[in-house]
Amino acid sequence: MTQEAVKEASFYERLSHRGVSRRDFLKFCGSTAAVLGMSSAMVPTIATKIAGAAESGLTPALWIHGGACTGCSESIAQATYPNVADIVLDILSLQAQETVQMATGEYVEQAQEACYEANKGAYIMIFEGAVMTGLDGNTLRVAGQPLTEHLKKICAGAAAVVAVGSCAVDGGWTRAYPNPAGGMGIGEWMAQEGIGTPCVNLPGCPVNPEEIVAVVVQALICGDLTQVVASLDEFGRPKYLYGSTIHDNCPRRGHFENGEFVYTFGSPEEGKAWCLYPLGCKGPQTYRRCPMIRWNNSVSWCVDSGGPCIGCANWNWVDNNAPFRGRVRQVGKGVIGGPGGVSPVTAASVVGGVVAVALVAHGFGMKAAGRIGKNPTMKTETMKEYDRKRLKKEAK
Amino acid sequence: MAHKPVREGHPIVFVITHWINLLAMLFLTLSGFYIHYPVVGGWMGWARGTHFFWMFILLICLAFRIIASFFVKTTNMPGTREQDRDIKNWLPQAANRHQMWPTIKYYLFFKKDYPISAKYASLQKIAYLATIPLTLLAAYTGFCLWGPTSQWAFFRVGTNLWASWFNFGGGGALMPMRVLHYWIMWVILIFTAVHAYLANIYNFAPSKMIFAWIEDPDALDSH
Repeated sequence: MTQEAVKEASFYERLSHRGVSRRDFLKFCGSTAAVLGMSSAMVPTIATKIAGAAESGLTPALWIHGGACTGCSESIAQATYPNVADIVLDILSLQAQETVQMATGEYVEQAQEACYEANKGAYIMIFEGAVMTGLDGNTLRVAGQPLTEHLKKICAGAAAVVAVGSCAVDGGWTRAYPNPAGGMGIGEWMAQEGIGTPCVNLPGCPVNPEEIVAVVVQALICGDLTQVVASLDEFGRPKYLYGSTIHDNCPRRGHFENGEFVYTFGSPEEGKAWCLYPLGCKGPQTYRRCPMIRWNNSVSWCVDSGGPCIGCANWNWVDNNAPFRGRVRQVGKGVIGGPGGVSPVTAASVVGGVVAVALVAHGFGMKAAGRIGKNPTMKTETMKEYDRKRLKKEAK
Repeated sequence: MAHKPVREGHPIVFVITHWINLLAMLFLTLSGFYIHYPVVGGWMGWARGTHFFWMFILLICLAFRIIASFFVKTTNMPGTREQDRDIKNWLPQAANRHQMWPTIKYYLFFKKDYPISAKYASLQKIAYLATIPLTLLAAYTGFCLWGPTSQWAFFRVGTNLWASWFNFGGGGALMPMRVLHYWIMWVILIFTAVHAYLANIYNFAPSKMIFAWIEDPDALDSH
């Protein structure tokens, strides 16, 4: 189809040209309703909203990259029917995506600039990767100047920022110790710069495309992003995506309750797909809906494929969750993620041990002082030390 | 606790609450250790059920113990059967004033004579009173971790504050709270060890009293 023909075709015709049937689309709407915590009665509404938005005025959007591995872009490229490009691009008029447009060089910059000028205050900025603040922002230079300079303008002109992936939310692995590039999240950076643009955080490494779709669909159902922003939790995350832990919804939860655990990899218990809790699974402390949304067209996810959750949606997750196969990180060091420190168990055991030894030693002291026995030779003082000293002072 | 206790100092109702507290601490600690790391498989559901059951028992017992202290009478000094409202004897009494430092000196062997004390010595009172906030803190951190309550604003605020302080950042990270809950258990264990040691170092009359409500015949003569 020519570009003109694509524009004139109905939404469903366009989907069908991309190999997506109406049934597939409705199935997708069903899974989106589930992600949003809605009943299947909402499926027609979701379908109508998406189709309506795709056929009416498109919301301009920019996809900006910070310090990133582009894994979030890759994650989105893995989505299948109808792929997120179909949904998001048909609803959002994505005018720049640096990974996809890598070869086009300065034209991307021009597209960004044009979008900014034409849609100031109305476009959505999707941000992937960390803001690199090290060396006055020179640890990441784009088009001849630090990324931070671009961001000051683009963030301030956006209707809202959607931070996709942990790097964009809090710096992610880019910020892990020793963080020489000064990686930090876009929300934190905007607050520091005094930019008040609302920010939706979608932590995870990488972001799940269905999480982005859920936010877009929520915005369509609500009418605009304002209500989406108003419904976020205290960390800027949609509650329906980050309101329950991996552990709450884990398919292996039954094994946890039964006390059926995998203690070593390669054991028969691992073959039985028992609970990975003793292997350092971070599921009980990680808020995300991976067990329900899953990955790669809902084929599988970390625990289903045999790996303990490493808590990639947690704050500063690399430092906080390492070692990924250990129960807890070391504590008591000056810099989080840095060398040194002791495990909380060792710290507590040592203090407890010292107290036990001290009590035994004290017991010997009490024995030596003749204070132990059926009728210990002890004498109670006749007057408080305080009173004795006070009287002595007054007498002077 | 240098003197032999009399029955009037520990009415049967407080012997019972002491038993409940001890059992609750025991079961909470054992099940807590298991939840922390299940050394052998097979008991997680049991351990969690036990933990939650005794947690409520402990809190109810604590509330009852505090309320009862306003109505039940206990001896107000060592070496007497004279009673007063328990709350008066539980909180610092006049005889406790200025006696903390002498008590410390006595236990560090810098002072020979046992300091004048009220129903309990100064350090004892501090320790016994501290068990209230300590138990409440253990309960609070526990509710921060417990699925049904972890999302309540009252508990979420604490989770986030502690996580930020602990350097884990925000995001409702639960691991710092787990560590805190675990450490509080150790503080309770240490309290229990010191408490059991000091109560029984002179003789076992206090244990006979608090567990079996048996008074030594020479209880009053020991003072």
